[in-house]
Amino acid sequence: MAVVPPEAAPDVDLGTILGEDTTTDKPWLVIVWNDPINLMSYVTYVLQKLFGYSKEKATTLMLDVHHKGRAVVSSGTRERAELDVYRLHEHGLWATMEQST
Amino acid sequence: MSSPIRRRRDGRYVIRLDPNARTVLADLARQLPEAIASRDPMVRRLFPPAYPTHELAGAERDYRELVDTALVNHHTQALDVLVATAQAETLSEAEFHSWLDAIGSLRLVIGTRLDVHEDMEAPDPVDPLAAEYGLFVFLGELQYLMVEVLADDLPDEGRPDGGL
Repeated sequence: MAVVPPEAAPDVDLGTILGEDTTTDKPWLVIVWNDPINLMSYVTYVLQKLFGYSKEKATTLMLDVHHKGRAVVSSGTRERAELDVYRLHEHGLWATMEQST
Repeated sequence: MSSPIRRRRDGRYVIRLDPNARTVLADLARQLPEAIASRDPMVRRLFPPAYPTHELAGAERDYRELVDTALVNHHTQALDVLVATAQAETLSEAEFHSWLDAIGSLRLVIGTRLDVHEDMEAPDPVDPLAAEYGLFVFLGELQYLMVEVLADDLPDEGRPDGGL
């Protein structure tokens, strides 16, 4: 199955909000939080579909979310992280981002 | 028993579901866009914050301004597809994905209203929330079976670009 093409969100130009932000080069982390509603198999499936992770890796991340309450599912530039957060929000996952310390 | 949901060889999806259940799905999906448009507090789970901390409130405002319209459209379009194809015998791949999105949104909203938590027990049948909880469980079963079919089509080893 193909990854969701960027055209899926034509209205969104995530680069524009970077503006004058004094971002350091520390990466931004995309975090998925545990929620009592989404099914475990659905979370695993979304991580495989969006990030191309193996079933094993996606399952490990999902179990981290389930048992530890959260897991870092991707990281990168702020722009990249915002796009990933947006794609996770499209899929109903509770995702946030924060800069690595 | 074989799953009531499958992908045919021609790439179309079949969901075996009785007409009443389809009507229930369409009715639920028809109500949600209005709640989304009016920002009913019950739909808050469809719009989680990207920047949850107080220090980044400005970034959060910018993020919301940037994506909210697209996110509203994304959820609403999926619900519209579910309404339009609720009685269809087969679904295209795109329609099947819209069903999954729409059913996921319905679960998030109903689950929020029921204040669902892990290890929650089913309410007593006379509880006024029992019917809604039944819907929540039904939607979960559908989501589970749909994911099972879709996950089958993903490579277990991941995509070459997949990594962390």
